[in-house]
Amino acid sequence: MAYSDKVVDHFNNPRNMGSFKKDEDGVGTGMVGAPECGDVMKLQIKVQNDTIVDAKFKTFGCGSAIASSSLATEWLKGKTIEEAQKIKNTDIVQELNLPPVKIHCSVLAEDAIKAALADYQKKADSK
Amino acid sequence: MDGHTHSTSDRRELQMARSMCWHCQSEVSGEYFCDRCVKVQPVSKELDYFTCFGIPRRLSIDQQQLETKFYELSRAFHPDFYQNKSGAEQTISLGNSAMLNTAYRTLRDPIQRAEYLLDLEAGAVKEIRTTPPADLFEEILELQDTLNEVRASDRTSDAAASLRAALQSKRATLEQRQRDMEAQIQQLFGQWDALQDRGDATEQARAERTRILKEMRDILSNRTYVKNIVNDLVATIA
Repeated sequence: MAYSDKVVDHFNNPRNMGSFKKDEDGVGTGMVGAPECGDVMKLQIKVQNDTIVDAKFKTFGCGSAIASSSLATEWLKGKTIEEAQKIKNTDIVQELNLPPVKIHCSVLAEDAIKAALADYQKKADSK
Repeated sequence: MDGHTHSTSDRRELQMARSMCWHCQSEVSGEYFCDRCVKVQPVSKELDYFTCFGIPRRLSIDQQQLETKFYELSRAFHPDFYQNKSGAEQTISLGNSAMLNTAYRTLRDPIQRAEYLLDLEAGAVKEIRTTPPADLFEEILELQDTLNEVRASDRTSDAAASLRAALQSKRATLEQRQRDMEAQIQQLFGQWDALQDRGDATEQARAERTRILKEMRDILSNRTYVKNIVNDLVATIA
């Protein structure tokens, strides 16, 4: 099985790799893992006035998992919280041409987005 | 214990009684062969591996018993013995042999056996939602950063040498942790088996089952994460 050009591109030039401080204002952190393959993904968003101004990720896993999270951070930037909720794993599958055996990587990325948004919301609500 | 074994074999008979011999249409009550026409029967897809080998659904199993049964069934199903038989029998012999090999490989390995049992008991494993171990994840990602540093560094430099030394000790710690988790799994095996042997269907027993399964799920997942990063670490400093 060969990776698509887009996956290879994200793998070789990952966008937005890195992290924010967890307790920083407006930062939401999503940490998810896939027990089946042992992949670990951390995705963070920085929110100002209901808009995601920045996003970062760190992923330990296969090329597709890295590409999925890299793409997710690209898409998240500039979106409102509400728009971000609508990102689906199927969008990622389509954009990256993921083969069926790699669909779970996109699911992991969607889970990470949801977890980051939930964490942000929780922090905002507790204020 | 006796009552439990009994109920398992009852269930098995029921399952078998419902099936009909594909060849002579009589009811099959034998294990894998029709009593009447002695034709080999396809192993039902619904038959779990434990039942297939005639052993109770326990986690500590008698390897000797498993192996003996495996050889016995391997001989019974082996395609070599079906070369002069009909096409249908050859197909069944192939299918049964393949299924038998998978079943044996799965049950022989304790980790795979536990994963399989979780599948059986909890339906899809994903249904037991695990809480992601945030600390472990942070640790893994941090270590991953260090590994990237090592990969990017000049292998002969002093900095790379000291990084590698640090990683060696990290490796020892992680491998120890993996062993600890395996010991914990063994302990849960014991708890599960004791519960199975008692065989009570009380509310309390059910809660206990769920607890054991969930704990086992968590530890098995964490073990996979640790194992992956150890593999990566070993490959990097090799």
